[in-house]
Amino acid sequence: MKKIAIGGGQGFWGDSPDAAIHMIRNADIQYMGCDYLAELTMSIMARQQKKDPAKGFAPDFLTRILKEAGREAWQKHIRICTNAGGMNVEGCASSIRDWAEAEGMKGYRIGYVLGDNLSDQLPKLLRDGWTFPNLDGEGDFREIRDQIYNVNAYIGHEGVEGCLQQGADVVVTGRVADSALFLAPLKHEFGWAADDWDHLARGIMAGHLLECGGQGSGGNYMYDWRSVPRMEELGFPIAELTEDTMEITKAPDCGGLVCEQSCKEQFLYEVLDPSNYLTPDVNVDLSEAEIRQVGENRVRVSKIRGKKRPDTLKLCIGYHRGYRTVGMLSFAWPEAYEKAKYCGEIIMKRMKRLGMRAEDVHISYIGLNSLHLDVADMSETALHSLNECVLRIAVFSTDPAECAKIIPEISPMQLNGPPGASFFGGRSHVQEVIALWPTVVPRDAVKVESRILTV
Amino acid sequence: MREICLLEIAHGRSGDKGDTSNVCVFARKPEYYSIIEREVTPERLKEYFGEMVKGEITRYPLPALGGFNFVMRHALGGGATMSLRLDSLGKSMGSAVMRMKIQVKDGELD
Repeated sequence: MKKIAIGGGQGFWGDSPDAAIHMIRNADIQYMGCDYLAELTMSIMARQQKKDPAKGFAPDFLTRILKEAGREAWQKHIRICTNAGGMNVEGCASSIRDWAEAEGMKGYRIGYVLGDNLSDQLPKLLRDGWTFPNLDGEGDFREIRDQIYNVNAYIGHEGVEGCLQQGADVVVTGRVADSALFLAPLKHEFGWAADDWDHLARGIMAGHLLECGGQGSGGNYMYDWRSVPRMEELGFPIAELTEDTMEITKAPDCGGLVCEQSCKEQFLYEVLDPSNYLTPDVNVDLSEAEIRQVGENRVRVSKIRGKKRPDTLKLCIGYHRGYRTVGMLSFAWPEAYEKAKYCGEIIMKRMKRLGMRAEDVHISYIGLNSLHLDVADMSETALHSLNECVLRIAVFSTDPAECAKIIPEISPMQLNGPPGASFFGGRSHVQEVIALWPTVVPRDAVKVESRILTV
Repeated sequence: MREICLLEIAHGRSGDKGDTSNVCVFARKPEYYSIIEREVTPERLKEYFGEMVKGEITRYPLPALGGFNFVMRHALGGGATMSLRLDSLGKSMGSAVMRMKIQVKDGELD
């Protein structure tokens, strides 16, 4: 029976390349998917590209994975699909071609997918009456129209599959949905029809369990984090599919854990309604899915169902929203929290006198409540035994000069405020705040293209 | 009756989509599923989080997996890009749910 194994090589831009390299060298896989794009990543790349047109993609895919193990992957016929192309798919693809040429990899085929970037189509869509409604129910699109960094549709598997059909050894994309990077090779291998919803849904969930890398094999594992072996060399998950089964495992001779509980935690990660998990390729129904241990570091996932794909595509629009700055100051026992709190009040009184106009100010105390906020334990016992506490003040304003006003006000508190304060990390900076406008676009506004560069 | 932290009988993970946070909560043993069903209602969770979660909370049961998915709207102070919170992605919303106190009957966990 035909069996295809695909590995998850990267969970985000900045992830460790070790598991991907180990997997290429040691696991019996035919494909690997490497996800680089989170919700905000495209906007960050767009901003980089605006400053330097040669940028706008994740160079790490080439510098940290392909340069280390790309040739070996090619020799072993492991084909890699990645969305590392970000905002500059052609730039990413040509940098890979330059490397492969220098390596003398004659015949190496680089596929790349275009069509997700809708910036140029925006005026026409607006003229045609498309209003880009905010799915969170707020605001008027016309108000952000002039502050947009990027407009990218989450596209499905088609472009990647097109490249694989043309013999690509590596496929580079922009805003292809993370899980579609994994569905594409599976659909290509098993020859599933474009409306074979149950099979497509299974392929998507294979991708879903792999697209976050180590989070699918013992990383961020709440059930029993101490039980995860050799976390310092955490292996990433591998999905093995046949025509009608799916199992999740990991590479031999590496750390990590694949069990029912680790798999369940990732299964619903970033899922909203489990009966209608919307992707560009299929509407997935997880409501009756089952996850069972079938061997050491091996689980079987079954009863995933699929329904017709949505008529619209999710759109990722990043726009300039304003500025932010964050100031921090640490305080030592005794009364660390009380002193930090008092110091925060002093700073805010000074800011009032300096006339700082901020749309939002958020004050929290690292080591006490900056993560759990209102549900943190603020009991007398918790406060009394506190060894140290870091005051954190975050300010948002549409005017960078207003944000900047608080920057020089933090460090003087070491000498001018309550005792036991120490300033660390240097003066803070004003950072731009990019916001996302969640909306959808009609499917026919997107034209996906699959292209090939041959070395 | 006695009071315990949800963490004693459950595990899970949080994720983010814009300003929406999802937290999946799975029973550590199959028999704990009904305790979670009884104790961790959307209403209880909404009351627990107070101002921290400004929008609606929906609970989706997944009996075949022995757990629930909770979807909390306007829960991340504006979402990854806008939030002034240290944990703008709500990575710790999962453990925040797990420290909620719940009531268990005598002998119910044996």
